[in-house]
Amino acid sequence: MTALLPPRVASVAIPWVTTVARLILGAVLIVAGGLKIGSIQQSVMAVRAYRLLPDSLATTVGYGLPILEVVVGVLLVVGLLTRVAAVVGGLLMLAFVFGIAWAWARGLRIDCGCFGGGGQLEAWEEPSYLLDIVRDFGLVLLAAWTVRFPPGRFALDAALGLSGGRGDTEIEGDDNE
Amino acid sequence: MSKAQRGQSVRDRIKSQREAEKKQEQRKRVVTYATVGVVALAAIGAGWLFAANQSKPEETAQGLAPVTIQGDGSAAMGNAGVEAPVIDIYEDFQCPACKQLEETSGATFKNLAAEGKAKVVFHPVTIFPQQMNNGITRANSTRAAAAARCITDGKQWMAFHDKLFATQPEEHLEGFTTDQLIALGKEAGVTAPDFATCVTSQKNAQGHLANSDQVMKAAKLDGTPTVKLNGKDMDQDVTFTPSRLRQTVLDAAK
Repeated sequence: MTALLPPRVASVAIPWVTTVARLILGAVLIVAGGLKIGSIQQSVMAVRAYRLLPDSLATTVGYGLPILEVVVGVLLVVGLLTRVAAVVGGLLMLAFVFGIAWAWARGLRIDCGCFGGGGQLEAWEEPSYLLDIVRDFGLVLLAAWTVRFPPGRFALDAALGLSGGRGDTEIEGDDNE
Repeated sequence: MSKAQRGQSVRDRIKSQREAEKKQEQRKRVVTYATVGVVALAAIGAGWLFAANQSKPEETAQGLAPVTIQGDGSAAMGNAGVEAPVIDIYEDFQCPACKQLEETSGATFKNLAAEGKAKVVFHPVTIFPQQMNNGITRANSTRAAAAARCITDGKQWMAFHDKLFATQPEEHLEGFTTDQLIALGKEAGVTAPDFATCVTSQKNAQGHLANSDQVMKAAKLDGTPTVKLNGKDMDQDVTFTPSRLRQTVLDAAK
């Protein structure tokens, strides 16, 4: 996409796209994690419902997942450690895509638990696996963009002279393209 | 010193000064990075610890309060004379969330009853409909609950109840077979002489299902586990947090 744009337009537009990507991914993580933080056992339940991990490990993950999501989400929104945060956020989303696909393939009837749901569906609820996968995969792409072009406008990284990860040369490099 | 030499030395000085600035800048950057990273990790660690601590189950310090099997297949646990507050627990032996409730708060329920702070009534129900997983889930649940009805001794019932949750099969696979249930009964110390034949024949299955439907309608259950305190639904965030559960029940006893 960037190749189609004149270099100057790209150099202006890219940081803004990164900002938007950061904000969307960060906000989703904060909301998803925040809803689960209040009811930690539902988070554990949701992780267990995938039956991807043994129960004890699922419990550990269930305790840590909500706070991890919130912290990574906040880092993305404010643009601190942008690249690292985007890598972690992207990996989380990839893990969710994998988990949902796994549940789907095994015929488990679960609520993805994405936004703090309890994991198990009520008898009358139908799972929306495809929709969940498409959404989470879209978020993976946003994370990938952010990893490639950090830190975008309105990022603390830039204010602190960090430029989001070891990608200090990223933006300058794009100017030369 | 010629003009050229002087120019050279100035340039050198500027160059080295710039390098020093660059180095300092770099150092500052590393420090900032490390600080933010450490703070973020510390926040995650603290959040995890808090979550783990909050969900830590109680220890079952004292013995079990007397358990009485009631006609409808429910089991009432409480010291003699303790009639309030009443905690009603509606659970399905095949429901994973119920297993989790038992793991997290089972000890708290037992302790509250043993301390004489509450009367706890367990209502085994079968919530899963026939259409789910080709009826496998419902069948598992029904076999287990019907087997529990073969037990007449309260203490043995509770031991069997705990075993069922501890060994709960995956809900989309056939489990809780009659043979497994008989073995679990043995492990739980069930002494009823006709337990094996009672489980194998599944003579209590119809009675359990009929009663289960009735209970679910009467209690207006949305799902399992449902815990009621004096007839009112308790919030899951409370029932799944042992300390809050205890406090809420103690407050109700006042």
